[in-house]
Amino acid sequence: MLRNHISGSSQFSGAKTRRYGVQAVLFLAALSASPAAYAAGTLAGTDIQNIATASYDSGGSTVEIQSNPVVIKVDELLDVVVVSSDPGDVTTTNGATDAPLTFRITNNGNGPEYFTLTPNVVNGGDDFDPALSQVVLDTNNNGVYDPGVDTVYVAGSNDPLLTPDQSLTVFVLNNIPASQNNGDRANVTLAATATTGTGAPGTTFAGAGEGGGNAVVGSTSATGQAGGFLLVEAASIALVKSAVVADPFGGTNPVPGATVTYTLVATISGAGTLANVAITDPIPASTQYVASSMTLEGSPLTDASDADQGNFNGTRIAVALGNVAAGQTRTVTFKVTIQ
Amino acid sequence: MKKLIFSLVAVAAASAAPAAWAGAPLELKSDIFVEKQQKRPDGTLATKLVTPNLIIPGDRLVFVVHYKNAGTIPASNIAVTNPIPRAISFSGTSDGNEIVSVDGGKSWGKINQLRVSNSDGSSRAAGMADVTHIRWTLNQTLAAGAAGKLIFRGVVK
Repeated sequence: MLRNHISGSSQFSGAKTRRYGVQAVLFLAALSASPAAYAAGTLAGTDIQNIATASYDSGGSTVEIQSNPVVIKVDELLDVVVVSSDPGDVTTTNGATDAPLTFRITNNGNGPEYFTLTPNVVNGGDDFDPALSQVVLDTNNNGVYDPGVDTVYVAGSNDPLLTPDQSLTVFVLNNIPASQNNGDRANVTLAATATTGTGAPGTTFAGAGEGGGNAVVGSTSATGQAGGFLLVEAASIALVKSAVVADPFGGTNPVPGATVTYTLVATISGAGTLANVAITDPIPASTQYVASSMTLEGSPLTDASDADQGNFNGTRIAVALGNVAAGQTRTVTFKVTIQ
Repeated sequence: MKKLIFSLVAVAAASAAPAAWAGAPLELKSDIFVEKQQKRPDGTLATKLVTPNLIIPGDRLVFVVHYKNAGTIPASNIAVTNPIPRAISFSGTSDGNEIVSVDGGKSWGKINQLRVSNSDGSSRAAGMADVTHIRWTLNQTLAAGAAGKLIFRGVVK
């Protein structure tokens, strides 16, 4: 303490430092440690105080004196950065509701600041515009949209407050039209702007800064924006047909009288559901359909047009599969004899 | 114990007071300016020192310490010490004659002679950003009425 007294003191009082209390500040001073380093630098509202001291000899004595203290206050820098957290296109399906795109907002300024969030679903460079459902703040901070848990954002009502260097994940939820083509993309953006104000870098808002100083627009113009893409991945169907021949002699030769069992496997891939899937297959020439030989998923189907899914009309079999979700398969078999 | 401390303080005050009246009161005055880029009419940039009404991280500050012998007899062995404010990263003096401390004023030397301890026990050469205090030792006697100034620069962290 004596040394401190002799050499004067430079004080550093900011919101962050005050919390440490007197003892902690002295301890830090002794170790000459730096205060917590922020990306944007010294916290807004911090006082920078300079005092010089001098010692000299005069008239046979040593005298120590101090200068006047000069104090200047660090003003608030307004800077914000928005990035898309999605690694690439986010796949979705026709008619999907609340399809989320994820963004991360970071306060790159040096003071606590409220940010206004503005989503935009009407952008160029894409194939369609989804309908905006909601903007949701990741209030449980797990990076995943949790319906009913995360807080719905209402502009002007719960604008998020971010301290310097603090980040927040925000979800923009979109509703997808019912009939987009497979591969259609939608560009959705989210902008965040400092509520204190925006403008060209250097624009100043007198007295509007943290701690009573000024607020100054930084290099980001105090606004940030990022975009993400939704990709409609409609369900698609692939049909694979195979045949097994059984001849009357216990072999597998396709001779007259041999029975051919055809297997049709429909595989639905992609995402979502295919509606009204139907399989038809004409009976090959020179063969005859084996009555009541149709099966679906191993269960027999009747040949008549009736309540079950299959029918045979004399020239082809047809099986109506109805709505089939992606990831599923349907297997149809029927038999013919070679004439 | 309390009484003893008080009396010690009293002695210290008594010994300092006569010296101050001895006739060479040195005056110290500290000033801070900020460098701002201003456009000249021809579009080129000029750096001007202005009053720091607006300070943001990254701003370059100029600290000026004026000293003056306001008394009637000379002052000698003048040493001027300036702790670097925590929020400032030291970036040099205008004369280069200073010695610095990188450990809160415990030890002093030219910056290229000082080392900083790392947390793992090793050490490295000190850099400008490590400086916690600067000190000028004026090697001439300051006559009555004489004055001068010392200048150092720093960047707002």
